[in-house]
Amino acid sequence: MNQQQMSGYAPTPPAARMENHGNAMVKIAMQSGQDVFARTGSMVAYEGFVQYEPNPPAVRQMASQWLTGEGAPLMKCSGDGLLFLADYGADVVCINLNGESLSVNGTNILAFDAHLQWGVQRVKGMAKFAGQGLFNVGISGTGWVALTSRGTPIVVDCGRGEDETYVDPDALVAWSTNLKMKGKRSFKASSMIGRGSGEAYQLGFSGQGFVVVQPSEDSTDRLRARG
Amino acid sequence: MAREFQRGHKAKISDLTAGTDLYVGVQIAGPGLTFDISCFGLDANERLSDDRYFIFFNQPKSPEESIQQLGAQAGDTESFRVTLDSIPAHIQKLSFTAALDGAGQVSQIGPGYIRIVAGGEEVARYSFNGSEFSTERAVMLGDFYLKDVWRFAAVGQGFDGGLEALLKNFGGEVAEEAEAAAPPAAAQAAPGFAPPAGGAPAPSFGAPAAPAPQQPAPDFGPPQGAPPAAPQAPQQPVAPQAPQPQQPTAPQVHNAPTIAAPMAPPPGPVAPPGPPGQPQAPYGQPAPGGFPGQQAPQAPPYGQPAPAPGGYGAPQMQPGQPGQPQAPYGQQPPGAPYPGQAPAVPQGGGPGLGAVLEKYKEAPTGQRWTPQNPKLVRVDLGVDGQPVLAKQGSMVLYQGKVDFSYKGAGFRGRLTGNATGQEMQLMRCAGQGQVFFAENSAHLHPIELQGDAICVSAESVLAFDESLQHEVRRIEGHGIPGGALFTMQFQGTGTIIVKTQGTPVVLPVTPTTFADANAIVAWSAASQVIISSQVSVRRHAYPGHSGETVNLQFRGAPGNFIVVQPYEV
Repeated sequence: MNQQQMSGYAPTPPAARMENHGNAMVKIAMQSGQDVFARTGSMVAYEGFVQYEPNPPAVRQMASQWLTGEGAPLMKCSGDGLLFLADYGADVVCINLNGESLSVNGTNILAFDAHLQWGVQRVKGMAKFAGQGLFNVGISGTGWVALTSRGTPIVVDCGRGEDETYVDPDALVAWSTNLKMKGKRSFKASSMIGRGSGEAYQLGFSGQGFVVVQPSEDSTDRLRARG
Repeated sequence: MAREFQRGHKAKISDLTAGTDLYVGVQIAGPGLTFDISCFGLDANERLSDDRYFIFFNQPKSPEESIQQLGAQAGDTESFRVTLDSIPAHIQKLSFTAALDGAGQVSQIGPGYIRIVAGGEEVARYSFNGSEFSTERAVMLGDFYLKDVWRFAAVGQGFDGGLEALLKNFGGEVAEEAEAAAPPAAAQAAPGFAPPAGGAPAPSFGAPAAPAPQQPAPDFGPPQGAPPAAPQAPQQPVAPQAPQPQQPTAPQVHNAPTIAAPMAPPPGPVAPPGPPGQPQAPYGQPAPGGFPGQQAPQAPPYGQPAPAPGGYGAPQMQPGQPGQPQAPYGQQPPGAPYPGQAPAVPQGGGPGLGAVLEKYKEAPTGQRWTPQNPKLVRVDLGVDGQPVLAKQGSMVLYQGKVDFSYKGAGFRGRLTGNATGQEMQLMRCAGQGQVFFAENSAHLHPIELQGDAICVSAESVLAFDESLQHEVRRIEGHGIPGGALFTMQFQGTGTIIVKTQGTPVVLPVTPTTFADANAIVAWSAASQVIISSQVSVRRHAYPGHSGETVNLQFRGAPGNFIVVQPYEV
């Protein structure tokens, strides 16, 4: 079989622990002792010996704070080999944290190093509105994180003006943890009679830092929807 | 298809292209910076032993013209022609470098690349930008090197000195070697060839056959491949890896198997645990657990502790080598389930948070409508405070004081909207600030109207200036279910954002321009639309046949256009 046409898509040998393969897939160079937490169901391929443990104890403990309580959408991957993850064609951004900290919308997290410090954060005031059980993961330390974004994301610097930055919670991907956040409800009387602007809830950010936003308001959790 | 290289990636030229007559283009530029871009033809020892193969502005070609400097062209700051076939045998490596001429540092450069073009087609490209460098004054961009066959490596290493220092690095006398080699080693944090413990490497690491036991590079040798007392060792072929005292930093890079090796030092071998007796000294980082020694320059980044079975391995590391009492694989813990994967897992830090996110930064402000990326558009509601009408729910982010309110179509509008299907659920965005619109990762296209008009299907409208008038227009024709097609016509002066699913095609209107009524997104209103029902006998054959019954034909003066999306609603 002539594979010449396809050979350009062979994975490049790993040059970093997490790397993009195309823009919608992440390639993780796994090695024993350095486990990775990944979204359950995000594995598309692996090469080598990699084991998956859904709902591992460490996550289960965190999941007690999970808002929906329906089980943690993370699995622990361990072993040696190459692991490929993807989330239904969403763009993947690999970030190497070097002591920084980041807060990521739960549905936008794809994978992160298990040795990073992480915890589930409650998004004040918002969780009850966004129907899909918005949870939010704070990650800090030194290691790799892979995020997903539906469409090329944009990074907005919040400290640019004195005004606050308001984000549609469905389009939010991540933000720097040192930002102050508050929910904003732009309810008006007219909203009650079915004449809302469609933008009833926003998250306001203020302070020095950045917000990552995706160009889509589709934040359905496809990985979970599959069951 | 151009293959994108990352720093450290390597590939055989033959995998990229069948040709050997290559065009190498380099783009590197920065505000106020000038670069000397040159090509060093080096011998097997990485020395510039033959001056005639230093191709630079004063010597634009090699004697037999296998390497020629062509100058700036086709968007490249500098370009070379390389004919691999005719390069003499003693030239084993071509190193393409860019050195700053004058003040400055490499971190100031904008996005640049080195690319290989063969047969009129770009086959490889390695892109870099200033954020990968710091105060260096030169960059080694990429190498062609001969290891059995010609290969290309994206190097991207900064170099502290300028052109002279580069030259000295490649051509300097052995006496100056230590100094010459020092800066690159420091600057690139490249292959650590000294074991961290300093002093002599643990003898058990170096293959005993290595030419000089004191050589600083033994940790490039196979750690487990050469047992300390291997009596056969002397018969082993002296591999190219065998350290050579004169070599500066780079050679090991290329002698390593052709798989990517990180430029940032990985923290240690990830390998199957060594046998108990194996001294761990040079690998001093405690491997599992945290992120050991990200900074440790001693890590042997290019060592391939266990060769992949795919023939990457250096010859003397092959397990099947006769007389090798301990095959490398034999040292795997018994039952190691995955011996094949070379565990040279790079763990090193990549670009930091800022660098990764840099490319997603907000575009600078300026115009009222700014496409941020293909799927995101920003409007600046400026001082005049002219409001924008947008589809409800399309705001993803805003800064400033912006008020969102319901925009009713009015009773009559509702009525026509309902009747025609051309109904828009709009909101008015007023105030001061920046609003970002996007929907469902659809591609967005700002179309500026200056008194002219455009017809857009209502469901393809994302946002528009309130100054534009819009009305429902009817396209009549036979054979349309329901009797007519409706569309929304926008007229006036302002911008409208049209969204498409996928990359659209914009066709000029010619006498024979047809479009599927379901896939058409927009057309300039000056063109006339005719329903073309070129339906054959088979039209009534069965329901759901070819389906292309109702086409729209467009007629108009030159200058009119239609927009069609690859998606039929």
